[in-house]
Amino acid sequence: MIAVEEIVKTFGRRGEVRAVDGVSFTAPPGEITGLLGPNGAGKTTLLRVLATLVVPDSGRATLGGRDVVANRAEVRRRLGVLSDARGLYPRLTGRENIEYYAALHGLAPAVRERRIEALIGELGLAGVADRRAMGYSQGEKMKVAIARALVHEPDTILLDEPTNGLDVMSVRALRDTLRRLRAEGRTLLFSSHVMQEVAALCDRIVILGRGKVVASGTAAELIAQSGRATLEDAFVALLGSGEGLAA
Amino acid sequence: MNRALTVARKELVETFRDRRTMLMTLATAALAGPIFLALIFNMIAGQGERARTLALPVDGAERAPALIAFLEREGVRILPMPADAVERIRAGDLDVAMVVDPAFAQQVDEGRTAKVRLIFDRSRDRARASIDQAESLLRAFARQWGGQRLLVRGIAPSVASPLEVVVEDLATPQQAGAIVLFLVAYYGLFATLMGGMPLALDATAGERERQSLEPLLATPATAAEIVAGKWLAVAAFAGLVVAVTLAGFWLTLSFVPLPAVGIPFLFGAREFGRFLVILLPMIALMPAALLYLASRARTIKEAQTNLSLLLFVVSMIPVAQIFLQRREPDWLVAVPVSGQYLLLNRALRGEALPFADLLLSAIVPTALVALALWATARRFSNEALLASR
Repeated sequence: MIAVEEIVKTFGRRGEVRAVDGVSFTAPPGEITGLLGPNGAGKTTLLRVLATLVVPDSGRATLGGRDVVANRAEVRRRLGVLSDARGLYPRLTGRENIEYYAALHGLAPAVRERRIEALIGELGLAGVADRRAMGYSQGEKMKVAIARALVHEPDTILLDEPTNGLDVMSVRALRDTLRRLRAEGRTLLFSSHVMQEVAALCDRIVILGRGKVVASGTAAELIAQSGRATLEDAFVALLGSGEGLAA
Repeated sequence: MNRALTVARKELVETFRDRRTMLMTLATAALAGPIFLALIFNMIAGQGERARTLALPVDGAERAPALIAFLEREGVRILPMPADAVERIRAGDLDVAMVVDPAFAQQVDEGRTAKVRLIFDRSRDRARASIDQAESLLRAFARQWGGQRLLVRGIAPSVASPLEVVVEDLATPQQAGAIVLFLVAYYGLFATLMGGMPLALDATAGERERQSLEPLLATPATAAEIVAGKWLAVAAFAGLVVAVTLAGFWLTLSFVPLPAVGIPFLFGAREFGRFLVILLPMIALMPAALLYLASRARTIKEAQTNLSLLLFVVSMIPVAQIFLQRREPDWLVAVPVSGQYLLLNRALRGEALPFADLLLSAIVPTALVALALWATARRFSNEALLASR
């Protein structure tokens, strides 16, 4: 469960850039919540606040009841993040990249090995896991980044534009993994500026525009709220324009 | 602490996988000693060789047969004077030449002081031994001749030499060869900085450049743990490079026949150990300073620019110390780099190393390590680090 209440985060010397401007929403467990908005809507900043990397100016956010500012260490232990930056260590193998994160999460070696093996199988990394990450394709890199974000079996998972630069097969593999995690009752928050992506996967959608929540609800609710026939028209109507969004 | 060790282990694994950088770093470190010592010994041996068989072009040798006979008895090879002797001395092809005054025979006959002229360029280091030898032989001849003249007149030679100077050189055998001393100390010191450089850059600016820092910061590892781990790894590697550099000097100095080139010089197991102990504060400090400076950069290239000032300062301090004419003040031991350089020189000269001095030389570096690591951890937990890419 993610609960966000009136989060504000500004940048610049006098706080002139209001990247996140009073955002509130909740993302229940066992569902995939989509954070949709054009580029520059504040999605990445909001995810960084939830990942405890950025301290909000005001407002409150909790993950599984733990405050992201006050209980930073607790939150991190139960959180998996696939951030916008997802670089691997090129001279380590895929398996070693995942192992490093497992060790930082304090997993015992036996547990580590079992989970890494399971993730490698599920994500179809078996053929490349013991090669150095230097020669990986975009899709292989992303899969390793996902595996390292999931290796400690987090309750809450944040994904920032996870499908950027992926081919169709990789996107499908990713969707399967996310559905599996949803079925296990985890809380997933998924940001994207691609409408179809969000529409295909998410149970609930939060639309962000210029740092504010423009609308939220299920796809059907959003269509009803906007009075339009399709989800795409609903997005455009709610945001005022489709600029910065991709179909 | 466990997490810091995990970070350190991973950084070292990555470094050792980078074969090319590894080989370059370690090979350069290992070869520095042998190559430089070979050059220096070659130079010193050349000097000794020239001095031993002094070849002296003489103009007007026929005017001073007694002097020439004396010089030849002392093993000097007398050569005819080349026409371009002055140019050749200027160019460094000829060490020293002698001109017997045209009026020499007449001056001797009249019992006056006879003149010979020595031509040389004292600014040429390689010629110095030959010059010194020529001068001292001429002085010896003058003394001998003067003594004979006095005896002929019935006066004991001691009357004319009321003062006898007995020379007692306090330089211990190890104190010779100052240039070798300087190089060994300089390279040992420099290795603490150069050794950690590739790893420090990769672990900070490289981590940002590859976009792997943000996910790392979102793990339960705190910025302090991450920085401590990276520091441990860089310091361990820098220590290895220092050890390899010193081992290069040690091996070279134990296989090259040193007494033959005139420097009974000591760099054995004891000096190797003392060097490592003296350099320990630098093996801790340089990696910390590297990490801090490199963490302020977005890319490896930018970080290299940040590091150039540190490189300059560290390389200049020992050089500046050579030009310091007075005896080093006592407080210099406490100054990072200077203090280590001073202690290294003492170790090489075979002097005592009081524990108090070692302790004193470690205080400021230790404080600076703590400060640099704290500042780097602060930098890593700074939100601006994520925003500026």
